[in-house]
Amino acid sequence: MIQFRALLTKELKEALRDRRALMMALMMAVMAPVMIFTLSKVMINKTIETPDIYVKISGAEYAPKLIKHLKEANILLFEQVPKSEKVMWDEREVKLTIPKTFNQDMLDGKSIELILNTDYSDKAMMSPIRRIQDNIREFAQSIGYKRLLVRGIDVRLLQPIKLIEQNTAMPNSNATFISMMLGLYLLMAAFMSGLPVAIDSSAGERERNVLEMLLCQPVSTVKIVLAKLTSASLIAVVGVILTLVLTSFAVSFIDLTKIGASFSLDGFTISALLLLLIPICFFASALQLFVAFHSKNFKEAQSMVSMIILIPAMVPIVTMIMDDRPKWLDWLPVSGQSLIMEDLFKGLPVSWNLLFFTGVVTLAMTIVLVLAMAKKLRSEKVVLALS
Amino acid sequence: MIEVNNLRKTFTGAKKGKKNRVIALDGLSFTANDGEITGILGPNGAGKTTCLRTLYGLLKADSGYATIDGINVVENPLLARKELGIFPDKFGLYERLTAYEQIDYFASLHGLQGVAKHQAIETVISDLEMTALAHRKTAGFSQGQRMKVTLAQALVHQPKNFVLDEPTRGLDVMSTRVLRNYLARFREKGHCILFSSHVMQEVAALCDRVIIVANGKLAAQGTPAELCELAGESHLEEAFVKIIGSDEGVAA
Repeated sequence: MIQFRALLTKELKEALRDRRALMMALMMAVMAPVMIFTLSKVMINKTIETPDIYVKISGAEYAPKLIKHLKEANILLFEQVPKSEKVMWDEREVKLTIPKTFNQDMLDGKSIELILNTDYSDKAMMSPIRRIQDNIREFAQSIGYKRLLVRGIDVRLLQPIKLIEQNTAMPNSNATFISMMLGLYLLMAAFMSGLPVAIDSSAGERERNVLEMLLCQPVSTVKIVLAKLTSASLIAVVGVILTLVLTSFAVSFIDLTKIGASFSLDGFTISALLLLLIPICFFASALQLFVAFHSKNFKEAQSMVSMIILIPAMVPIVTMIMDDRPKWLDWLPVSGQSLIMEDLFKGLPVSWNLLFFTGVVTLAMTIVLVLAMAKKLRSEKVVLALS
Repeated sequence: MIEVNNLRKTFTGAKKGKKNRVIALDGLSFTANDGEITGILGPNGAGKTTCLRTLYGLLKADSGYATIDGINVVENPLLARKELGIFPDKFGLYERLTAYEQIDYFASLHGLQGVAKHQAIETVISDLEMTALAHRKTAGFSQGQRMKVTLAQALVHQPKNFVLDEPTRGLDVMSTRVLRNYLARFREKGHCILFSSHVMQEVAALCDRVIIVANGKLAAQGTPAELCELAGESHLEEAFVKIIGSDEGVAA
């Protein structure tokens, strides 16, 4: 116990005195809330606001009522574009052609062909195009309804079937983009915060020739590995908690009710999240230490360990797009946690059994890694840095 | 007491398809007694460091065994290392810790605590005359200052056996003398001290017994005077060159 305490204090002392590593470790915690805040802001603006659209309309003079209708929906003539946006809208080239015969055809009850000409693959144009389509359709429909009404026909005849949609999603689900991002960031934080410490205390120490000295001491290698793991994981846990706290603080500044969503990190969610993520912190640090001890030098360790960050980045996305998930994904580290987090954020009941089970599997894998490392440190290969 | 018996160790490295084998230890045996300072001499690549690393339990010999106070280093490495103070050939420092914290760390690893630990650290710091350095972070220490910290952390728990791999390289004259007096004092107390060196005067002045290793084998052993006599030379350096230079003939 004296030994373990000494090992751990030394590891923590070194980790906390390495300012640069520590800054990098906690960068994630600061970055996540900022990213989530700005992204949510942008998304809310996109969904609720109708910014001005400038369309190059030819033949506007033939259909003044249509133009007026479009104007009410902030769809304006290109001639009115302010100087600052002129170049942008000129490039986007949204062209609407109104035929000369518009008025006459309307009187005759003929079908009028308007031509909307633009690049439909442009992502930024998706929402404006939809708005133009909707508004023209709406305008046409209102005229059509009026024609039927004058002839004494019930407009409802046009809708033989009416689909009533009932959304069973909880109000929380509307905030999915926030929660998806938060889930991703939390997993990333668990993997990234302990990373500099893990590399420094394994490959770094070997490169600085202090590991050999330590291995000559009357300490079991299991204790050495456990101390290094604990210090890296503790930093990771701090990173995760900080991410969580700062995010819930940042999200409270966003008015999600505007898009009919609610998002709250209450005591229950936070404790469930921590319960999920703490085993992940240990697992991540163990994996990083394992890879770092197995690489030949500091540089190799750094590039190899950076690859591990791909795990938390990729796994949630893969599980999200997979339709038929195999059962074992539910309890595997990272994927299991990310699935439970998804449920948690959607407001669905959390399966405590599953949560407990993934936690146990994650910790079991961590223990296997620790034992493998302890064995590795007893072999002469580590001493001579031949792997 | 340190005993090495018939140690053999071969390194195999596969380079460019060919396997090249290096025989580092070829049946080396010797004993370092309590209350004596034993010096290991040998040319570069003779197997000194390999032999010492086997003693720490970092390397495992292919055959033969090494014991420290009768404890086999392979079967019971933790117990054997408890009796050992080690100054390795490659050493680094934890640059973000102060000298005092490093010594404290190694003292704790040897199970010292409380007042006894504090006392032991203070003693070793004043013995090695490094009070001025004690509370500075070791980043930026000179080679000699680094050596002192490493020595202090090897000796803080006052082990029964010292193994020092070239402990005087890079030390200035004053520090070398401090170390020499320090080792001599522990010899008086009955400790077993084994150290390797390339400085002949030092070995001649300090060692009770000298072991000469060449090609992974024991080439000769005895007091410095005996070795000179054996080789028929008046200086240890001449004797050393003569002994390792001739493969046959001078076997002890």
